[in-house]
Amino acid sequence: MSAMMPPDTGPAGAVAVDEPAASTPPSAMKSLRRFLAKPSGALSISMLLVFLVTGLLGPLLVDRPGGLGSEILRSPSVAHWFGTDDLGQDVFAQVVWGTRVSLTVAVAASAIAIVIGTALGLLGAYSRRADAWVTTVTDLMLSLPLLPLMIMVTALVGPSVTTLTFVIGLFSWPEVTRLIRSNGLVVVSMPYIDGARALGATGWRIVTREVLPAVVPLIVVSVLLTAARAVISEAGLSFLGLGDPDSWSWGRIILNAQRSGVISTAWWQTLFPSLAILLLVLSATVAGVRFNDSRDPRLKDR
Amino acid sequence: MNAPILRVDDLSVEFATREGAVRAVRNVGLEVFAGRTLALLGESGSGKSVTAQAIMGLLDTPPASITSGSIMFEGTDLVTAVERVRRQVNGEGVAMVFQDALSALNPVYTVGHQISELLRVRRKMSRSAARARAVELMERVRIPAAARRVDDYPHQFSGGMRQRIMIALAVALNPRVLIADEPTTALDVTVQAQIMELLTELQRENGMGMVLITHDLGVVAEVADDVTVMYAGRIVERGSVEELFEHAAHPYTRGLLRSMPRTDREDDELWAIPGAPPSPVLTPKGCAFHPRCDIAIDLCRSEQPGLEVIAAGRTSACHLRAEVFDGRA
Repeated sequence: MSAMMPPDTGPAGAVAVDEPAASTPPSAMKSLRRFLAKPSGALSISMLLVFLVTGLLGPLLVDRPGGLGSEILRSPSVAHWFGTDDLGQDVFAQVVWGTRVSLTVAVAASAIAIVIGTALGLLGAYSRRADAWVTTVTDLMLSLPLLPLMIMVTALVGPSVTTLTFVIGLFSWPEVTRLIRSNGLVVVSMPYIDGARALGATGWRIVTREVLPAVVPLIVVSVLLTAARAVISEAGLSFLGLGDPDSWSWGRIILNAQRSGVISTAWWQTLFPSLAILLLVLSATVAGVRFNDSRDPRLKDR
Repeated sequence: MNAPILRVDDLSVEFATREGAVRAVRNVGLEVFAGRTLALLGESGSGKSVTAQAIMGLLDTPPASITSGSIMFEGTDLVTAVERVRRQVNGEGVAMVFQDALSALNPVYTVGHQISELLRVRRKMSRSAARARAVELMERVRIPAAARRVDDYPHQFSGGMRQRIMIALAVALNPRVLIADEPTTALDVTVQAQIMELLTELQRENGMGMVLITHDLGVVAEVADDVTVMYAGRIVERGSVEELFEHAAHPYTRGLLRSMPRTDREDDELWAIPGAPPSPVLTPKGCAFHPRCDIAIDLCRSEQPGLEVIAAGRTSACHLRAEVFDGRA
């Protein structure tokens, strides 16, 4: 060995100079700033915040729609921003109150789907033996006609916000499983997983400490996309009369319009809740895509 | 010499593939002694890395399966050991240094986190004690300004520094045996020398047994005590490094030594063993090396030679071992 070793101690700082300049580790603040750098990021996140604030605070400021009003089927005006329905109830109040239910169902259903989906996806990625089962069950679930099944189950159990949440959540995990599994497989084959095994790490440790952190960005994206799909499912089921009859939701407003036969004349009763659905789904989807892009080092101007 | 710490006997590993079972390792035996370095020498595909993976329990089963043999470590057979024992041995009994340190370190954690996490889990150290020990270990492997760099991520280190971190991780639990799988292949020559120096130094200090997997004859000549040469999944020759380099007892070893570039001989061009290693699916009948061998006889085409003793501490798997050893063939 003729090559010189750097001295054991001594002027260590001088030796370190040949190292590449230490760049600061990625911080949460930095990635948030990068996320907001594009209009799509800033717009979608503000839209989501508007919905969140409306869902949380709206019902405190706007009276719960109910009873019979004297002004029926009025088009939008200063008194009634979104017009009134055939019972004289304010559509704006209905949309505000519906926001809370739609968001609750979206968040809770997506949480259920993410927990099940991630757990199964990681299991399939890590354990070859479990993978066959996970893949088969996932493919089976994906090939089922979801809407008729959801209708059937909801009808059997009895419509309520809780039923809707569970039905949507329990039918939405296969997409998450598939995404997490396919990316988990890539991580599991990385040499550092072998490195961890060579140092005696347990399977549980490898899955939770080595594989899970690597797929967290994907989980964030799928939370947003699953929530967007849950909003649509919730509105769809409510429109079909499987929503909670005691609480307002966007689907129920449109259902009321259809039931009272004013769907072709009172455009405001269908337009505004539909617009709310569209904006929420769109902003959640765009936020998900933007989050994904903002983390992709291959996209130059992120 | 006392008893070996790690003893591999008659180990065979098969991989199930679409073309049928591939026997990557065939009846391999190794002995690793405390304080000594065993070089496992061979081309790509000779089965040396698969042997190491079998020792570490890193083979994916399926497709791989250990079809015969035992791996004895301090009285425990690692082939049949239960998962819990196996994990206990990994890191504390046998540890491994990988070829590519960048991909063998988790990119999402700082190097300090990775070292101290290991100590906290396996040595039940407190957070601060583990961190202090991590800095110590980084200083031990000569990372400059270790106290400052402990919070850096693997990608912020140069190749040589990363390999040092890998070594710090591997020796963190004072293993009895260190397996180094081509530890210097990805590094440039000056750094290679430093890393080998560091490994031998740590070995002297801890009395570890070391298995050095390599295809670099220069490295073998400098650091190894014993050499085991592998070809097509089998051991073809075994001996101490001086004797084996002095006079090989297998035509393959002789070919390897002859193909080493030398500055003291200006006359001939670079020499290479003709042909290519056999495909692991279709190994030739008889001796696997006979299609490339310059002294092959009819017997070599029909019968697999056994690994037999030719002199004290020397074994060779060649029908003409005596002739090759004496320089008559």
